[in-house]
Amino acid sequence: MTTQTNTNDDLLVCKQIVKSYNGPLVLDRVDFSVKRGEVHALVGENGAGKSTIIKVITGATNRNSGDMMFDGQVIPLNHSRNNAQDLGIGVIFQELSLIPGMTVAQNIFLTKEPFFPGTRFINHRLMNRNAQELIDRYQFPLKATDVIDKLSIAQRQLVEILKAMSMNAKLMIMDEPTSSLTKTEVAMLFEIIRKLKSDGISVLYISHRMEEIYALADRVTVLRDGKLVAVLEKEQISPAEIIRLMIGHKLEENALSHKLEPKDGEVVLEVKDLTSVGKFEKVSFKLHEGEILGLGGLVGSGRTEVVRAIYGIDPIDEGSITYLGKPYKPSVLRSIKSGIGFIPEERRLQGILATLSITHNIGITNLDRLAPKFVLNLKKEGEFSREGIKLVNVKPPVPEQLVGNLSGGNQQKVVLAKWLIRNLKLVIIDEPTVGIDIGAKDEIYTHIKNLASQGVSILLVSSDLPELTRLSDRIIVLRKGRVFTEFKDCVVTSEKILRAASGILEEA
Amino acid sequence: MKKLKITNEIRLGMVLVGLMAVLSVISPRFLSLSNLSNVIWSICIIGILASGAIYPRITGGIDLSLGSMAALTGIIVDMFMNKMGVNWIPAILLTMVIGGLIGLFNGFIVAKIKVPAFVVTMAAKTYLYGVALVVSEGAMLAIMKPAPFISIGSDKLLGLPIPIYIMLTLVVISQFVLKRTSFGRQDLAVGPNEVAAKLSGVDPDRVRLISYTISGVTSAIGGVVLASLTRQTFAAAASGIELDVMTALVIGGTSAVGGRGSVVGALLGAIMVAFIVNGLNLLNVPAPYHPIVTGTVIILALLLNEGYLVPKKMTGGVKNQKQAAA
Repeated sequence: MTTQTNTNDDLLVCKQIVKSYNGPLVLDRVDFSVKRGEVHALVGENGAGKSTIIKVITGATNRNSGDMMFDGQVIPLNHSRNNAQDLGIGVIFQELSLIPGMTVAQNIFLTKEPFFPGTRFINHRLMNRNAQELIDRYQFPLKATDVIDKLSIAQRQLVEILKAMSMNAKLMIMDEPTSSLTKTEVAMLFEIIRKLKSDGISVLYISHRMEEIYALADRVTVLRDGKLVAVLEKEQISPAEIIRLMIGHKLEENALSHKLEPKDGEVVLEVKDLTSVGKFEKVSFKLHEGEILGLGGLVGSGRTEVVRAIYGIDPIDEGSITYLGKPYKPSVLRSIKSGIGFIPEERRLQGILATLSITHNIGITNLDRLAPKFVLNLKKEGEFSREGIKLVNVKPPVPEQLVGNLSGGNQQKVVLAKWLIRNLKLVIIDEPTVGIDIGAKDEIYTHIKNLASQGVSILLVSSDLPELTRLSDRIIVLRKGRVFTEFKDCVVTSEKILRAASGILEEA
Repeated sequence: MKKLKITNEIRLGMVLVGLMAVLSVISPRFLSLSNLSNVIWSICIIGILASGAIYPRITGGIDLSLGSMAALTGIIVDMFMNKMGVNWIPAILLTMVIGGLIGLFNGFIVAKIKVPAFVVTMAAKTYLYGVALVVSEGAMLAIMKPAPFISIGSDKLLGLPIPIYIMLTLVVISQFVLKRTSFGRQDLAVGPNEVAAKLSGVDPDRVRLISYTISGVTSAIGGVVLASLTRQTFAAAASGIELDVMTALVIGGTSAVGGRGSVVGALLGAIMVAFIVNGLNLLNVPAPYHPIVTGTVIILALLLNEGYLVPKKMTGGVKNQKQAAA
């Protein structure tokens, strides 16, 4: 499908790239090219291979086979980050890599500081002047002497761009650059991308947001399950077409489609006009007994923020919550006491206590039952731990094992276990299976389904679309902090969810 | 039968017994009751302070104001009794309350204003020293009465000085609270992952406030015992003791990021350092060499606690905590 008639136009050419991390192929004979001076968008679902191909290009990891050429030079199999830098490949990561206490100039010229002739003393004046020249060339709202600490996220991204430009980058890779920017900042970034383009610099742009791709991209490469699906030219780009390609063709659609059957039990949770300024607005929904309500939407659409507010982590500005028929004012402790469980999205950062044992991890959410009068019942704690381990089948089933030494799947099972041994009425689950193997995934799905069949209501947030459609009884899709649409009592597919998340309304 | 788990305390105990064996061979005087009781007596104040200082340490913080606080509370208790005529029992209780309030204030700045504990308690160390200088008018005051107060530091019970009993009681209570109560568990959870602890229903701010308050109370108890023991008070009475306390905690296996710690371990750690110094004295090694030895011991103890010097099977195949955290 790729067009390779005019090779001179191509800055980066990848042919038949194969990559595997000791197992299934993450990249399966992928052809990929970026032309000089174009904005090229790379799209695909989670796990399609986008980040892997970026890692291969930037030398963060090495391909197993395939040929790569950059600017007429062959990129060897033992490619490295330094090598990528020398060639002129710049990357702006989601997590910025600047040193907070240093100035803009110091960051741009880190390890490449200009010295006074014949010495190893840094010429600060020259360094600042060079940095300022670079800033002025792109008319960025920055000063060479600004300290990074004091800059906004958007400004920091600009510094990253300058850092790459100072190394004469010919290709600038941007991985979800707008995920934490405001509207005006996004507009500014787009302006800069266009400027880079007019200077002949190529931009490889990764984003989930269709409107950005539509606004910026000259060409789009679509990946699915590690394979190249299509390369779209400017005139072929439409959000609906891209989504169709990302999800797959009609045959697969039937296999992956899922009939939603709403549950009409008692209403356990009702949320009305819930608002948190800048995060979400007027979100309303009902959750019934034993129902799994899926919350879909792009990263940043407000899904996680809504469930965090319901659990009592973040404050609510307006709106009301009714839980078990009574008005509910959330706080974490109150939620735990009244039968609400919370499985957070970032297992390592928010879920586990890595350096404590399985027993202590399970015990910490159950202190109310283990120590009603201050003193811990150690015997009971041991029983809880063994019960939890057995319930979710943690391997190895050793209560004293430090949770940090378990595999990702087993860590997540421990996080599940510490709630499952409680008498729950509602569980909030945010991205239950990120980064865990298929086997553990299936086990976790079974536990979620079992919980629901026992009458526990579940609020499920997931970016994994097959997961969302497979588990949910009903799905609401959030977009830009608002409820965009609801799927119930119908056949739902990943494509429908993604279209809704991207702002395309279904024709009835 | 259940396999005996090699805990940190048992490992330290084994090292201690080995050390005692070596020292008793080197010097026959070492194992005499008077020598042993002297050594333990010398670390009583460290033990008392450590039983409270362990709480902020485990949450990832530190209390460096212990020494200044002990000196100040010593001056205060003397003032209550000998200038204001308060009976010795309420005087001591009042002093403990004051210690607790100072600790609470430290905790407030750490927990609510989010200033790093190192900075907060370092500053407290300095200004509390200043307050002690002002209150004592810079003088070293002798305490000769009341008699029951003096006897706390000087009387013996069953052949052992009373401060040893006070220390052991506090160590036992503290160890119990740490290992067997919900507060202890919450304290352990805050250090390694505050966010996860919070989402599990722990209130990290509250845990910190209580931790620093406990440390303040035990510092006051230490200050009172020290005043009674030395029969004098002055602003620099306990200066530098915070480092001895931290050393004891480190050797005892207390780790902030690991969410683990033991007051008994800290006591064994303090005893170990004291034995080594005692042994060096018995061997007539000149005093300037002592810090070189104790410093080396701290490093070795740290390596031991992180599992570097132990055969794998002794740790039950579990990798060390740094690896688990990574």
